Amino acid sequence: MTKLIIELTINGKKKKVETTPSTRLLDLIRDDLHLTGTKEGCGKGECGACTVIMNGELVASCLVLAPQADGAVITTIEGVGDDKGLDPVQEAFIESGAIQCGFCTPGMILAAKKMLEENLHPTEEEIKRGISGNLCRCTGYQKIFDAIRLAADRLSSRDGGRGEEDA
Amino acid sequence: MKKMPKEYVGKNIFKVDAYDKVTGKAIYADDIYFDDMLYIKIKRATYPHAYLRRIDISKAQKLPGVVRIITAADIPWVKNFGLIIKDQPVLVGVGQKMRYMGDALAIVIAESKEIASKAVKLIEVEVEELEIISDPLRAMEKDAPLIHQDGNILATHYLEKGDIKKGFAQADVVVENEYRTSFLDQVPLQVEAGVGVFDPETEIIKLWVATQWLHDTQADIAQSLSLPKEKIRIIQPVIGGAFGKREDISVHIHLALAAMITKKPVKLTYTREESMITQSKRHAFIVRAKTGATKEGYLTAWQVEVIGDTGAYASSGPAVVHKGMYHCTGPYNVDNVKGVAYTVYTNNTYAGAMRGFGATQMAFAYESQMDILAHKLGIDPVQFRLQNAYSIGSSTPNGQVLTHSVGVKETIKGAVDLAGWEEWKEGRL
Amino acid sequence: MEESFGDLKGCQKTYQKTALSQYFAPQKIEEALEILSKYGEEIKIIAGGTDLLVQYYDRLYEINNWLDLKNIIELKKIRISKNQMEIGATVTHSQLENSEDIKKYFPILSQAAADIGSPQIRNRGTVGGNIVNASPAGDLLPPLMAYDAQFKLLSVQKEELIPAEEFFVGPKQTIIKPDQLLTQVILPLPYEKTYDSWIKIGKRRALAIATITLALVVKMAEDNKTIKEARACLGSVAPTPIQIKEIRERMIGKNFNQLDFNQLGQMVEDKISPIDDIRGTREYRKDVAKEIMINALEEVYSSWWRSYK
Repeated sequence: MTKLIIELTINGKKKKVETTPSTRLLDLIRDDLHLTGTKEGCGKGECGACTVIMNGELVASCLVLAPQADGAVITTIEGVGDDKGLDPVQEAFIESGAIQCGFCTPGMILAAKKMLEENLHPTEEEIKRGISGNLCRCTGYQKIFDAIRLAADRLSSRDGGRGEEDA
Repeated sequence: MKKMPKEYVGKNIFKVDAYDKVTGKAIYADDIYFDDMLYIKIKRATYPHAYLRRIDISKAQKLPGVVRIITAADIPWVKNFGLIIKDQPVLVGVGQKMRYMGDALAIVIAESKEIASKAVKLIEVEVEELEIISDPLRAMEKDAPLIHQDGNILATHYLEKGDIKKGFAQADVVVENEYRTSFLDQVPLQVEAGVGVFDPETEIIKLWVATQWLHDTQADIAQSLSLPKEKIRIIQPVIGGAFGKREDISVHIHLALAAMITKKPVKLTYTREESMITQSKRHAFIVRAKTGATKEGYLTAWQVEVIGDTGAYASSGPAVVHKGMYHCTGPYNVDNVKGVAYTVYTNNTYAGAMRGFGATQMAFAYESQMDILAHKLGIDPVQFRLQNAYSIGSSTPNGQVLTHSVGVKETIKGAVDLAGWEEWKEGRL
Repeated sequence: MEESFGDLKGCQKTYQKTALSQYFAPQKIEEALEILSKYGEEIKIIAGGTDLLVQYYDRLYEINNWLDLKNIIELKKIRISKNQMEIGATVTHSQLENSEDIKKYFPILSQAAADIGSPQIRNRGTVGGNIVNASPAGDLLPPLMAYDAQFKLLSVQKEELIPAEEFFVGPKQTIIKPDQLLTQVILPLPYEKTYDSWIKIGKRRALAIATITLALVVKMAEDNKTIKEARACLGSVAPTPIQIKEIRERMIGKNFNQLDFNQLGQMVEDKISPIDDIRGTREYRKDVAKEIMINALEEVYSSWWRSYK
């Protein structure tokens, strides 16, 4: 089997990983780096459970070959939030009850985060479109919309969502 | 410390595992890794209804990285499993029958997923093809080949309340129709997955598997492997949805066998396609309904024949199909009811539990009957439903008297308001 | 690590060489062409991977040699040159959706790109991939055909420009040869009095493979009254995306008020011969084809009317 070495920056850390051409980025993230917050739900780009942010764009890591990510900068769910605490999107998901089985949650949060980075005042239609690549089979979409709106409100307020509750 | 209810009632409580789930720290079965862990793939049936005549694993076994391939010949002591009826083989052996595309023929254990996948494709199988029965009506015919030896009709249930003849005699209008629903996959977002470890000292098999019925599953695995229950320990990791699909055994017994035989940690994760082909579905129903009502719009009689396609194995089928029949009148009062429900084997993927457990399919039939009747009677369909709907004191087709919590009228009114039905009727919407 | 391919100096990434398989990610088109001329059918070209990784799910190991286009910057560009738009083969659906130039000159190409898959798919999938994958349901194909696109195919030996209508020969089949690389899509810049409409019918709005699609492009003459050119192209109704030529013949030279939209819809219904498949029946597709043609004509007509007033 052909082995090749790729370098990528994942959640702010530079990594050198040995892989093969037939390894998917998803497998590399899970099996080699053990960042298991990235999930496989379908393996065919339909469900969004494997969503990561690669070079600033939302991608389905099941549809990216590991060597295609050579040199890439990648954020997985483990890279959201920091030592100081959770990201406002994560907090909003908890507070809005936007989590059921949790399998879609990492991908859903990354999709929501990416959407809010580009648009702090999304309409309902824009929220739907922003997470249209992420399925929630527990059908908890309403709470997920609530969470995204809550995160948007907080992020667009001055303190960036780290301060007081908007009552 | 005893918590007072006041702390919770009327307040928002965050899910206990919410933090783990938003940070990706929650561990699901496929997230578990051990050093030296081996990977399993299953060789599945090659034809939906056939005798296995030969299975040749020699080429697959020679592939570097393949650790072990288990076929039925290696495990003659293993028994069938199943939720209600033990009709499902762990592995189909030579001379035995495969009954649907999800039947397992061999357990391939290898050093990587990729090698296991390649090895599965190198297994050669010869079968004697039999007629594929994909339609329950064909399965019920006298000359249809038997999928299981005791007949294709797995269970027949009857229902009788009041006097059906009298009921139809009282009716001014009678409608009779046939309804069909399709199979449906529950599609929990997480596919079937598990990790197994065998401890040679205690001889305990530990399984981390997403499962809905922990103790039933433990008992079923134990009887299948002829082990005492305490030798099977199921550890429930976080589950990525279930919706009924995880009531049945999936990866469990294959994992246990592979762990016992290799003495190494093993992992088995289905592909989504494999999950769809192999694991339970919502039953496809054929419902023949005959319903009578007076010209004033009161239901007098309801007769049904329900045929539930339970696929190749029983799973929860007998319970689902006859429960469906009990819901034949929906939430409406009918004094005279008669029904028969057949749970029928076919060579389709087996059907089992899914949200609603038979009641959902019936709703399509009874609500359609209600609309058709309302139309024939010239009564507003909302009014027709309201005047027939259950209230406290109503009795269901199987004779249960409802003594509390009957909210159907409020529900109908609420739904009608939200839908803007009145405005729509008046052409304002 | 060794040099992966002896005489190709430019490959930015070189990987350990084994007899088994190779992974190339060159920076220049010429290098890619040389690799293709050497490997031909023995190599898979990958751009976004959104079709390829689905087709090869659980059997990626069957592909021995890979040619990854990701480092070829030239292929990622959208630019206007003289009277034409040049779209690089690895321009993503997201780029098409958001490009101001595409929105201005080829609005329904942008709309069709926006209707593909999901954000995750649009960020990776490419126009070139959509073309060479040649699915009868490929969303970009009817608009490209309706805008009279040409595809630039390069090999070590030669350069070819193939009109979209000659490129597709069957489901997933095109005239491209193993040593050729699709490098650019070339679209003539439209004359300003052009009106267009894009309609996609699918099971849902995201991640739906089209049940039927229609791209209608109508160009008016200098007087903005007479139709000078009209192209109605459909997807998912034939083995390849197709143009209904009879529509063109019927519409050219006419004014809008001389056209019977219902009749034109009927003409589309009559001229197509779709199949039954999991996304829809032949009967459904024929019915819907008529309706969406009428809708598209109405849309084109009303945008023309707004500009005419």
